[in-house]
Amino acid sequence: MSKPTDLVQGTLDLLILKTIMLEPAHGWAIAHRIRQISKEVLQVNQGALYPALHRLEQQGWITAEWGESENNRKAKFYSLTKDGRKYMQREQANWERLSAAIGLVVKTS
Amino acid sequence: MRLLSKFSHRVRSLFGKKAVDNELNDELKFHLERETQEKIAAGMNPQDARRATMLEFGGLESTREECKDMRRINLISDLVRDTKFGARMLRKNPGFTAIALLTLALGIGANAAIFTLVRGVLLRPLVNRDESRLIYIHQIVNGNGDPNSIFSVPEAQDIRATSKTLTQVGEFSTIGFTMVGLGEPRVIRSGVVDGSYFEVMGLHPVLGRLLDEQDDGPKAEGAIVLTYRFWSGVLNRDPSVIGKTVRLISNGPRSATVVGVLEPSVPYPAETEIIANVVCSPHHLSATMVTSRTHRMTQLFGRLAPGATLAQASAELNGVYSTMAKDHPEAYPKDANIRVEAKLLRDQITSGARTVLLVLLAASGLIFIIACSNVANLILARTVRREGELGIRAALGATSGALRRTLLAENLLLCGAGAVLGILIARPMVAILARYAARYSVRALDLKVDSTMLWVSAGFALLAAILLAFVPRLPVTNASQATTHATGSPRISGGTNRRLRVFAMIQIAASFVLLAGASMLVKTLVSLQSARTAFDTHRVLTFSMPVISNGRPNDQVFTFYRETLRRIREVPGVDCVAMGAIIPWREAGTFSPGTEFTVDGYVPGSGEGSPRAQFRAVSPGFFASLGVPIVAGRDFNDLDRLTSEPVAIISQSVAQRMFPNQDAIGRRISWVGSMMKSFLPPSMRIVGVTADIDDEHIIPGASLTIYHPFEQVGMGGRLFVHTSADPYALVAPITRVVRGMSTDQPLERPTTLADVRAEVLTPDRLNAFVFSGFALVALAIAVVGVAGVLAFSVSARTREFGIRLAIGAQPRHLLAAVIREGAIMAGAGIIVGVGCGFALARLAGTYFQGAQMPGISVVIVSALLLLAAAVIASALPAIRAARVDVIQALRAE
Repeated sequence: MSKPTDLVQGTLDLLILKTIMLEPAHGWAIAHRIRQISKEVLQVNQGALYPALHRLEQQGWITAEWGESENNRKAKFYSLTKDGRKYMQREQANWERLSAAIGLVVKTS
Repeated sequence: MRLLSKFSHRVRSLFGKKAVDNELNDELKFHLERETQEKIAAGMNPQDARRATMLEFGGLESTREECKDMRRINLISDLVRDTKFGARMLRKNPGFTAIALLTLALGIGANAAIFTLVRGVLLRPLVNRDESRLIYIHQIVNGNGDPNSIFSVPEAQDIRATSKTLTQVGEFSTIGFTMVGLGEPRVIRSGVVDGSYFEVMGLHPVLGRLLDEQDDGPKAEGAIVLTYRFWSGVLNRDPSVIGKTVRLISNGPRSATVVGVLEPSVPYPAETEIIANVVCSPHHLSATMVTSRTHRMTQLFGRLAPGATLAQASAELNGVYSTMAKDHPEAYPKDANIRVEAKLLRDQITSGARTVLLVLLAASGLIFIIACSNVANLILARTVRREGELGIRAALGATSGALRRTLLAENLLLCGAGAVLGILIARPMVAILARYAARYSVRALDLKVDSTMLWVSAGFALLAAILLAFVPRLPVTNASQATTHATGSPRISGGTNRRLRVFAMIQIAASFVLLAGASMLVKTLVSLQSARTAFDTHRVLTFSMPVISNGRPNDQVFTFYRETLRRIREVPGVDCVAMGAIIPWREAGTFSPGTEFTVDGYVPGSGEGSPRAQFRAVSPGFFASLGVPIVAGRDFNDLDRLTSEPVAIISQSVAQRMFPNQDAIGRRISWVGSMMKSFLPPSMRIVGVTADIDDEHIIPGASLTIYHPFEQVGMGGRLFVHTSADPYALVAPITRVVRGMSTDQPLERPTTLADVRAEVLTPDRLNAFVFSGFALVALAIAVVGVAGVLAFSVSARTREFGIRLAIGAQPRHLLAAVIREGAIMAGAGIIVGVGCGFALARLAGTYFQGAQMPGISVVIVSALLLLAAAVIASALPAIRAARVDVIQALRAE
């Protein structure tokens, strides 16, 4: 396993929003899914995940609901709001533009 | 949509705090369990799995805090929690809290009061309509040093006729009447105005109407307007006064109708009971008033024309003036160097008070500085004690900002409470200060305590709290250092110590300035109070009993007064009674600063003008009534009447000046100048010489006075009664006698001479009182400050003292060391104070004339007082230092 990379806040937001885009998930599941999809490269620290989730909730991009988890315990499920979806699309576009630019610089030098 | 959910989210965070907290705990707990489960599923045993999860998770508490932070309600709940905590800390240290509260209350209260005063007097606009165009015109006569000379009627007419920059000009002069018809007959001051005065001033009536064009001129009906203060005070707002007829008696009786009541406004240029039109005063219609250019009694107000400026008006007025001087050279002496100036009325009214108020402002600013630095000291001392606690907090993750917030909350609580207390103190303070400032500007009487004071206090409190929050140095947020400090013993770094000392020195310096100022005033007051007078002040009762002729011929009038005096003499308890011209000190300056006189055969020395003396008219027995001896010749008697030979009595200084080493009796003396000659005999024979009576100044000096018999000049109007019993007990019987002789005769203000003197000294007394109050407050605060600093420094050096005692130092050496430290601090502060005081006095000298440097004695006394206070303040901690138990000290770490 490679060292977990530090993730910038905005990027973390994007990852979270993308993860819950298709279906709502609770905090653990979000971290697990990110790890899975990124093939164990991106390991989100709980100390960063939950504050980010609460911040996003407070800003109105996501909304939370208590429900039953897969192991029949109560868990807090987060889902994307309409505004959150738009915000995610904006952030995704930004990220693609940014990473393309970085890629250009890195490739040429 | 987003806004709504954001809002409801935040509200829920704020109010459902407990529920939200529980939710957060549940959420994180779920995560932990789920992760543990995952590890178990991967093959770990349950215990290891749990431990690994916990290690991975890291700081649970800080995560929780951060989540809550994200919810952004932390700010408020933190502040609330800090405030509650702060309140508990303050309660635990009642001594500190009480002193700090009191200090803040005094500092904030004094400033709020003075600010209200300054705003009310200097900054508030007048109630007159459009007062930025209302101006006051005056002459500055540099020739005889009179900076505020007024105008004569012909001059006013010239100005009115030719001025283009002024749309209207109003005239105002004052005269005294005896008014009969509204309650008791009383002596009043009245303004006399022309028809355009009220229009120019832009005032409105509260009842009825004001005087206007129809009341102008010699053919109008007599009409008066009552001032608001008179109407609401003496007449109790009686609405039925409108339409009443009164009799106004001055040189002759006139009748007038009350047509209205004036709205409350600044009584400028003089405080009067009524304002009358010209026809009420025979003097105003006399030839002297109307035609003489040099008979200057009238004050002029004007309205600037639209578009005209003050400078233009002044320039034009000076032009009118030069024309007048050219056309009438006999009235305008060449060397008088007269300049005419127009000023905004508002500036004219407040100029007297500006000095005083600025001084007060400076004083209260000093007190605020002292108060804040004192509280800063106290807080600094306490914070250092709390260094351990703050260190632990920092180690737990509190940011620098969070720690400051804690301190800020505590300070806000302290300063807020101090501000509330300060407002309570400020209200009566404003009342006292207003009465004090009213002597300098009548606007102060009109002051209302309004909500500005609240805002000002709140502002000051906030300022203080913020300043104080930055005073303490925060502990370094470094875990290792925090644990060494956790033991709780205060560690004094050089920086802290220096700050403490600097604060204490600032306090001492400021206290010194205030003390010096107050001592100066007290010294003046003491010299005034202890000045001895020539006459017997406690046994002489005075009345104001103006002579009114009521149209009767002179000899009837004199018979009336002679008979009244005789009857009063027969009242049991009365030793002697007489008429005089003025009440000493209270009415000083009624007659001009002296009129020129000469004696037969007197040749003035080269370069000298004629000497000047005071004019007085008295009845027989005057000198005995005052207890003043006649050193040569005789007193006036009943034979000195209007029809007999004109005689005079002179004061000893006149005799010594004009007849050195000769007998003055029998020589002839006369006044110089047309005004005196118009109603006085051309020359008098001197029949007596009396000891000097200086009734113009509290501190008596040589006075040149010439006395006339009251019957020969028809002036008088003040009664002097000498008694060996209680003077005030005679008021009732004497009043009965006078009423028996005439129901119209006013008899007012019975006061003993001693009380008149106290009355006249009241302003100086008040001055000294107010500033001494300030100075004592400052001294008290400074003493506490010094004591606090030293006490703190001693308790911090307990270990050091213990060691020194252990190796053989004598306790009294330690005592001396502490006291020396205190004295040095005080000394340094005093030196700074002397320097500041010097600079301030120099500054004051450039702005106001008459500012004197305090004498050396004052400086020395103040310095000694402060030094003594500092030494006393050092004593307690010093004693504590000397009594340190060696073993305890060594062990205390």
